[in-house]
Amino acid sequence: MTELVLRELRKTYASRGRPPVEAVRGIGLELRSGELLGLLGPSGCGKSTTLRMIAGLEAVTGGDILVGGGSVVKVPAQRRNIGVAFENYALYPPLTVAENLGFGLAARRRPRREVAARVRGMAERIGLTELLDARPGGLSSGQKQRVALARALIREPDVLLLDEPLSHLDAAQRDTTRRELKRIQKDLGHTTILVTHDQEEALSLADRIAVMKDGVIQQLGTPYEIYDSPANLFVADFVGEPAINLLPGVAGADGCVRLSEGVRLAVPVRLAAGREVVLGVRPEDLRLVGEDTAALRARVGAHEPLLEAGIATLALDGVAGPLVVQTGPEVRLDRGETVRVSADPRLTHVFDAATGEALR
Amino acid sequence: MKRRLLAVAADGALILYFVFALFPVAWMIILSLKPANELFSTYFSFTPTLDAYRTVLGAGSDEGVPFLRFFVNSLVVSLGAVGLSLVIGLPAAYAAARWRFRGSENLMFTLLSFRFAPELTVIIPLFVLYQKLGLFDSYVGMVWVLQLVTLPLIVWIMRSYFSDLSPELEQAALLDGYTRKQAFFKVALPLVGPGIAAVSLLAFIFAWNNFVFPLVLTSSEAQTVTVGALSFLGGDRPKYNLTAAAALVSVVPPLLLALTIQRYLVRGLSFGAVKS
Repeated sequence: MTELVLRELRKTYASRGRPPVEAVRGIGLELRSGELLGLLGPSGCGKSTTLRMIAGLEAVTGGDILVGGGSVVKVPAQRRNIGVAFENYALYPPLTVAENLGFGLAARRRPRREVAARVRGMAERIGLTELLDARPGGLSSGQKQRVALARALIREPDVLLLDEPLSHLDAAQRDTTRRELKRIQKDLGHTTILVTHDQEEALSLADRIAVMKDGVIQQLGTPYEIYDSPANLFVADFVGEPAINLLPGVAGADGCVRLSEGVRLAVPVRLAAGREVVLGVRPEDLRLVGEDTAALRARVGAHEPLLEAGIATLALDGVAGPLVVQTGPEVRLDRGETVRVSADPRLTHVFDAATGEALR
Repeated sequence: MKRRLLAVAADGALILYFVFALFPVAWMIILSLKPANELFSTYFSFTPTLDAYRTVLGAGSDEGVPFLRFFVNSLVVSLGAVGLSLVIGLPAAYAAARWRFRGSENLMFTLLSFRFAPELTVIIPLFVLYQKLGLFDSYVGMVWVLQLVTLPLIVWIMRSYFSDLSPELEQAALLDGYTRKQAFFKVALPLVGPGIAAVSLLAFIFAWNNFVFPLVLTSSEAQTVTVGALSFLGGDRPKYNLTAAAALVSVVPPLLLALTIQRYLVRGLSFGAVKS
């Protein structure tokens, strides 16, 4: 269908008497036709601003947006042919679902018969047929989200933008809607950007993920690349649940990193002795082991059995921060108990303490 | 027991206040129904007659007061003022709600200041200006000056309505192919309909009740009921029964209007209006 390219896209908000705010600082992205890219970041990172610039709801300060090879920066929103499903759905309250869906087509003066046929077709696709005569006020959040999606899709947009599509749904609806969303997007093959602060949403839906912070893309890659080799401390910390253990330490001459007097961990990279680094170890990459000389000794601070897995918070000798370990469902630990933990050096991430960049 | 006593006392107080507040109205009604020769009687005699209403509504030929014309003037001037304020004020309120532009807050405050600055402070210069511009005693002049009353009301209240409206709705309309203007007229405006009804009524009542502007800026052609009703007090002896009848007749339009749009009024005033 259509590829989408962002080139050095910038947005600066100038306000009198205050320094200008750089919301988006020159981001570049290339989406293949039909690709679903997740724009993941905390609130205020510029991801929604980026989305609004692509939609044409926000003026671009610098850079370019290319849809299907042509620049759309100077094209007003109503002629860009970009579909947006808004976070709060933004359905027109006095209109029925059918009228909401047909609104854009009617605005473009399509013949009434065609509008009706396309509304019916889209409703069947997305499973809204029984809801066509309902008004938005009476729908559940999941239904509203589907209507919002259908409204964005019915115009056959070149690019589809989804703004936090699942954030207002409860857990059960979230799962079904997510699966639906993935199916519909793959079926119809729209080039799609999904904006979210929820890593689960991004990881499960996106072909590739761009992690954003402070208006800059921190890392761009497949969900596995983001998870397996985070580019810096921020990405490592932001992606992953429970959050990664980040432990400051100093490189020794023996290929290990010293976390404290007696605690050392082997790392997969060669480091100059004395270099200050931060180690990142995911809770799920740590194992509780039996009496083993190579393992770390730790004291149990707390253990939360969560049915399918447990979360243990451990303390290492002389190390300030806690060490969080994901345990198997059968494990029972008591507070104050001493356990041994082993980390796979290949799954240990090393970051420069000063810059936060990953060292490989 | 104590609680019940308190409740009874509260009800009693309310009834007392009710009587106190409505007594002038009752008095006016009685006054308007009295024959002219019983107006100043010190004893209570009440033989109701509609003479006063007949005189007031009968083009006032025998009294020389064209009350019906004042009535029509009031209608024209008040509706005109509200209409003009809506035409100017709705887009202004929308712009103020959606965009922070240079001086937007100052502009809004200036509008508000029209409401709390006493009209008397500007009335003399306005009088001179109106004389020179030829606006004195004209519909255009009255509609214009009443903007000081109606415009701030409409802009301020409607701004909070528009602020409560999610901007995504209009943005969705933009993406659906509407222009900004269409998004305003076809999406935003219909959604604040109850607010428009409520604020229009409020503005109409304020404009209708205004006294100082027509008193100073009109003489006969564009004079309104508020000033016109006073004409019955001039002459050799004050005709209170006519004044009372005139006042009661002039209450009818705002009352009718309020009753017809009451449904919107409650809804309209109960949300949006008081939020900043």
